[in-house]
This record gives sequence, structure tokens and C-alpha cells, in this order.
Amino acid sequence: MGRYSAVIMLTVLSTGCMHETKPQTQPPPVAATPETAKAPQTAKATPATTTKPPASTSKAKPAPATTAKTAPPSATKAQPATPQKQVASAAPPKQVTAPAPPKQAATAPTLDLDGLEARLKQTKAIGLMTKLSLRNKVDDLLAQFRQHHAGKPMPTVAELRRSYDLLMMKVLSLLQDHDQQLASDIVSSRERIWGLLADPKSFAALQAE
Amino acid sequence: MRKRLIARAPALLVLAYLATPAAAQQDNEALKKDLTAVIALQGQPCGEVVSATVLKQNDYAATCKDGNKYHVYENDKGRVVVDKQK
Repeated sequence: MGRYSAVIMLTVLSTGCMHETKPQTQPPPVAATPETAKAPQTAKATPATTTKPPASTSKAKPAPATTAKTAPPSATKAQPATPQKQVASAAPPKQVTAPAPPKQAATAPTLDLDGLEARLKQTKAIGLMTKLSLRNKVDDLLAQFRQHHAGKPMPTVAELRRSYDLLMMKVLSLLQDHDQQLASDIVSSRERIWGLLADPKSFAALQAE
Repeated sequence: MRKRLIARAPALLVLAYLATPAAAQQDNEALKKDLTAVIALQGQPCGEVVSATVLKQNDYAATCKDGNKYHVYENDKGRVVVDKQK
């Protein structure tokens, strides 16, 4: 019985809400409330991985669309409904805050070289001797980069890139079966690591550390 | 309770006896895989290491499936060396 009454109440409420939205310009407050609700979500989502921010951005995109759709009617009917206008005018600053999470999302997957190094040291997917061997190869590659940045013509960028890709392939082939998470993290940061190595300034900064 | 423990004691002893070689075997398998990867990283032909012997710390003798034998060790400069044995 309780369920039936709940279902009836829900249907009545939902039909009532549907009726209210069509004639009146309720979308602005509706658009405003999700944004306020989303703002803390994105703030919480920043420490997490990139999966959450895109969701917030996908949610954030419809919000401006609804406000953009509702803005012209509110502009036409706006004169009598001043409080709604205030809500609508309050929305644009929130729209300014809404694009902020994508910036955070862009900075969130920053390259954590120390973290990757620690994880490579700790992983059980690679044996001790293999790790030592890989470390030798990384040292060799870094020496080649040092030569290149010192102005020597011999290791060209193309050669360095080939060596870098080969080394990455070796690391990934060792990791992919037993530590897929680390392998995928390395794949995702592969180009950024290359960027650090290829840029003389960032490479010098890396060497200084 | 005590009778149960006494009754299970032989089984526990057998399990303990069997567990130690199994762990050693796992270690040996891991070592073989490790050496296989090292030899492959050095670009030497091997296929798969079928037997490995610990000579010293970070110093191994490996026999490959294709019959090749290698001395794999870390030299005093910290570099991993793979020497082909005849």
C-alpha cells in the first residue's frame, strides 16, 4: 500500500513539475541550482583522476545552453520578473567559475616523475636484474640527450626519439601483463616525458634536481 | 580440541614440507623470467631461460631454450652485463 501511495505521489508531483516548467520560466533557477551543486563536486573532483572533471564539464556544458535558451525569454519577460533576472544574472559569474574546472582538469594529470619512478621501483612486474638493466638504458639515453643539448650533432632529435620510443616499448612490454595501471600511466605521460627531455631548459632543470 | 589438533598435525607438517619447495620454485621461475627479460633487453638470442643458477648476489648463469648459455651479472660500475658463454 505504501508503495502504491508513493508511486501515486511521485506521478502527481512529476506531472505537476512538468506543468510548471512549461508555462513559467523556471529553467534559470534549475540551471543555477545544479551549478551550485556542481561547484563543490568539481572542487572535490580535482584531487581525483581525469575521469571526473570531464563529467563535470559535460554537465557544465548543458548548463550554459539552458541559460542561453532561457535568457532570451527572460529578457522579453524579464521586466516583471526581476528576482528571476537576478538569478539569471547570478548565473553568468557561475559560468565563469564553471570553466575553471577544465583548467584544473588540464593541470590535474600533471607529470609526476618521482611518483612514476617510485612505482617502477616498487612494481613486482619487473625483476631486479631487469630493473637494473633498464636503469642502465635510461642512463644511456640521458647521456645521449646531454650530448644533444650540449650541441653535438651526432644524436639527432630523430635518433633520440627512436631510442626513447624503443625504451618505452621495452618498459611497457615488461609492465603490460602484470602492472597494467602503471603501464597505462606511463603511456599517458609518454609525450610529456619526451617534451621534458627534448626541451633543453626543462632537461637542464631535470638534471639539476 | 586438543585431539583435533593432534589429528591435524601430520597434515600441517606435510603442508609445511610442501610449501617450502613451492616457494623456492616460484622464486626460481621469477628469476628465470627476470633473466629472460635481461637477456632480451641486451639484444641477445635466447628465447626463454630454462635454468638459472645463482653464482653470487646479482650474478647468475643462465641456460636458454635454444641452447645458449649466458653469464648475467652486475659489474662494479652498476651496469648489467650479459656475457655469452661457449
